Amino acid sequence: MATRGIHATNTIGTLMKIRKGTAPAEELDAVDNSILEILRSDGRATNQDIAEKLSLSAATVSARIRRMEESKLMRVVAVADFAAHGYNILIAVGVKVFGRDASEVARELAKLPEVFSVHLMNGSHDLELLVGLREFSEISVFLRDHVARIPGVFELTPGIAADIVKFEFNVAPL
Amino acid sequence: MTEVELDELDHKIIELLAKDARESNRQIAAALGVTEGTTRTRIKRLQNERLIQFTVVTDLRAAGAPNLVMMGIHADPGRLPFLATELSRVEEINCVIVLLGRFNLLAMGLFTSIEQVNRVIRTRVLPLHGVRSVETSISVENFKYDARMARITPPVRPRGRGKAEPAEPEIVHKSSGRDKRRKSK
Repeated sequence: MATRGIHATNTIGTLMKIRKGTAPAEELDAVDNSILEILRSDGRATNQDIAEKLSLSAATVSARIRRMEESKLMRVVAVADFAAHGYNILIAVGVKVFGRDASEVARELAKLPEVFSVHLMNGSHDLELLVGLREFSEISVFLRDHVARIPGVFELTPGIAADIVKFEFNVAPL
Repeated sequence: MTEVELDELDHKIIELLAKDARESNRQIAAALGVTEGTTRTRIKRLQNERLIQFTVVTDLRAAGAPNLVMMGIHADPGRLPFLATELSRVEEINCVIVLLGRFNLLAMGLFTSIEQVNRVIRTRVLPLHGVRSVETSISVENFKYDARMARITPPVRPRGRGKAEPAEPEIVHKSSGRDKRRKSK
């Protein structure tokens, strides 16, 4: 039922998926959704635990999860904190590009390991980066020696994160 | 600044779990040549220290191929902690950062239509007392995004459920929460 409702109101999304030709072929039913709900609160709940909660067999739970993962509808993953990777500083950098295709600059920026997101934007800047750094002194080194040297980078507007209050996307290309 | 101390084994466990969090302790133990007990203890510690978190990640296309929208918010500096908490409560906003330099706050969300962006900004962001202006920019193409990394924060609960409602002065020190945790070791 729920899936049907989503579909009716999501025509544009569906059209886009069809156009891109990679729409997940499978659909989620009520059992899948109940399993997902448990996994969202405890991603490492055993198949047995989930089976008991939903009065199913562990084999069914295992098969359902495998089907959802194999059809790329979802994955259960561990997300690590920036700090676990040694990144204590996060900066958001707006980049203006001049005299070069912004996509080319984006591709070069994407190669830098400190850069964990690069978006081509419509707005005040051509590109937006999120960058993780270990310490304060790395900010100027990173911007001056790595970013500013890329041809086409015309202006940099960095902002330093003082506090990350929320960070939960839970959506990614699978 | 105190660093989080993780050894090689921790990093290997994180790496395996980032690919598939459904791997059993036994499988991980076997892959890394340690005991199941060690694996269990390590994972528990990483979780307790909020260094990892297990989540269900949905495919971008299955979610309607949304676009990332960045909202640069200029706001009354004295009200930033309050505003950051209020913005975190907005379901459509996935990320809220108190920023130094460009804006006072940076909020990001994934949206499938311009109407939805407009509705959230008009009805949820601009009416907040202390918000002066919102600069919106829309991502048209993503070149890189590492979904394995995030800031693991305690869940923001809806209003009126006891302790979850932070008093304004209390969140002023929220940025030191992580440091507090480190010092406690």
